[in-house]
Amino acid sequence: MKLAFMSAAHVHADAYVSCLQSMPDVEIIGIADHDSVRGKAFASRYGLSFFESYDTLLAQKPDGVLITSENAYHKDLSLKAIKAGAHILCEKPLATNVKDAETIVRFAHEAKILLMTAFPMRFSVPVRSVRDELLRGKLGKPLCFNASNQGQLPPRDRAWFTDPVLAGGGAIIDHVVHLADVMRWYLGTEIVEVYAVANRIFHAQEVEIETGAMVSLQFKNDVFATINCSWSRPSTWPSWGGLSFDLITDRGAIHVDAFKQNLTIFNTLSVQDGVKNAQQSTSVNHDWSSAHGDRGLGPRWLFWGSDANQMMIEEFITAVREHRAPMITGEDGLHAVQVVDAAYRSIQERRPIRI
Amino acid sequence: MNIGIIGTGFMGTTHAGAWAKAGAHIAGFLADPPSEATAIARQYGTKACFNLGELIDLADVVDICSPTHLHAEMAIRAAQAGKHVVCEKPLALTVEQGEAMLQACRTANVKLFVAHVVRYFPEYSLAAAQVHAGKIGKVATAEYRRLSYRPKKPMGNWFLDEEKSGGILLDLMIHDFDIARWIAGDVASVYAKKVTSINKDSPSDYGEVILTHVSGALSHVSGAWAYPPPVFRTGFEIAGDGGLIQHDSEAESPIELLLQQEKGEAPDVGLPASPLAESPYDLEIADFYRCLQRGTEPLVHAEDGLAALKIARAAMESARIGEVVTLSSSSTSFNIQSAMDLKPYSPQEGGSK
Repeated sequence: MKLAFMSAAHVHADAYVSCLQSMPDVEIIGIADHDSVRGKAFASRYGLSFFESYDTLLAQKPDGVLITSENAYHKDLSLKAIKAGAHILCEKPLATNVKDAETIVRFAHEAKILLMTAFPMRFSVPVRSVRDELLRGKLGKPLCFNASNQGQLPPRDRAWFTDPVLAGGGAIIDHVVHLADVMRWYLGTEIVEVYAVANRIFHAQEVEIETGAMVSLQFKNDVFATINCSWSRPSTWPSWGGLSFDLITDRGAIHVDAFKQNLTIFNTLSVQDGVKNAQQSTSVNHDWSSAHGDRGLGPRWLFWGSDANQMMIEEFITAVREHRAPMITGEDGLHAVQVVDAAYRSIQERRPIRI
Repeated sequence: MNIGIIGTGFMGTTHAGAWAKAGAHIAGFLADPPSEATAIARQYGTKACFNLGELIDLADVVDICSPTHLHAEMAIRAAQAGKHVVCEKPLALTVEQGEAMLQACRTANVKLFVAHVVRYFPEYSLAAAQVHAGKIGKVATAEYRRLSYRPKKPMGNWFLDEEKSGGILLDLMIHDFDIARWIAGDVASVYAKKVTSINKDSPSDYGEVILTHVSGALSHVSGAWAYPPPVFRTGFEIAGDGGLIQHDSEAESPIELLLQQEKGEAPDVGLPASPLAESPYDLEIADFYRCLQRGTEPLVHAEDGLAALKIARAAMESARIGEVVTLSSSSTSFNIQSAMDLKPYSPQEGGSK
């Protein structure tokens, strides 16, 4: 199995490369990046070959590519990969707008290219276990979700996350897609209406996109959900952020916190040493967010739960090997983009938006 | 000062204890039926009244702990008789009733206090003090949770009758609407969703409400009567541009009892079991009593109770019609765009070089 990276813009590229390097029968051909400084640094960090262009990389005929570019470039890079016959694991969100997401899905479908959207929360063991029980009928009938996916402002060296053009938005597009996908997956039904509110009070001087936001989702089957998706965590927060939700059913409630399996470490090192220490610790876990955060002193949470990224990458590789659809498809990515699009329209029009 | 207490359920009983501690004289109780007040009247060596007129006559202050739909009529009668009024939250069932109560008390030149007791819980008042002192900067987002089981009543559960209590959005969640407004100021618009119980036996009431404040801050308020007894959890998370404050009653509970015991019944109304030297109810009644005796200002005014009621009614309306409800009281022409100063998300054609 030959795989390649298209861009190292996203923090998750670092996590994915660590996953791949621990797997047998996987060869990483290398990386291309339109930002050659960034791409070369990534290549040398992990001992990979750097390719001067995406075309020369794809000419090596990889079986699959991992697209971890800025969100706005997902479409062009996907179309290149599809043309070269490479299967795709594309970072979330699938695209920055519905049209691009539809284009990616359509071209992949026509070319019979396997397209998987990187929604690692479907592989979070706490998240997955609760869904299993729910589907067994053990937890009652779902009524609503009360959810949170909040984090720190993405770090300065990943400034594109806060660029409205490159990212497609701010906290909403960064965070809402995860929980929207998890909830669709739990319920097996679609989101039909979205209401969203947003502001820019956190980091108002630093960025031009929304940093505080709340989104309400209405599902087809009367279930509703609220997601706080803000970049609200101060630099002194013990981790990058988190993802959790209460699922309320006619039997009561189930609380799921995907990142609660943590050690808490208190240390007295200087800021410099403290950051280094935290990075070393999290790189072992390479949880999907380890490259976020780690700013500021104070207690830190060190995640010891199972690695969702590893299982997600394995699913992609297995699906490619077995010539089957991955458990998360391009359509799943498209649906999440539709929700994000409706959320931004709702903010503009200040009313709930039907999808 | 003579206190007449209406209602001898959990709240009437609690207030009675608090008035007694504050040094006030309880002059009488009124219950429905009147015989319900006999035992507690005997306990305090006072009178069980037969009707509202009798209670009002012997009181200087009428403390209303009756079901919500009865507040307005009782408060207005007390005010018209020249008696001060303490009223349990919610102030009233409707905004019109609440406004009439404030008007009646103004006209009669009597005090009206609304018992939003959560303001007297130290975890909330400490958080508010921190926010108001600027310790976390400008508030951007806030979450408030109040999660419990369905209130149980020995007779006719008026809590569950929306015509009488307003249901979960009014009866339970008004606590946090008041706190959200205390923390981030007046509310411009409200969007709410609510679980509609499938059947009477299903113990599932759950509300989720998004408040957009005039300041641009956003609050998410959740309330549940959906948890198994004896769960009673409260929590909040207030995030500003200079920091964040968290509270979780579960995490901050200093005592954990893990005793082998018979499966016990839950109490009438769930309460946080975090022990304090002074109960918030005692602090609240003592504050009102101090205001009456010395003319000081209470921590929470009748106007705050009315504002919280307006938010709750807007939430009920929003949940009913599925649309955003704008609050007319906030005359400030609020514009989300100006608050956000959002750059347009013009989807651009991405292009790798």
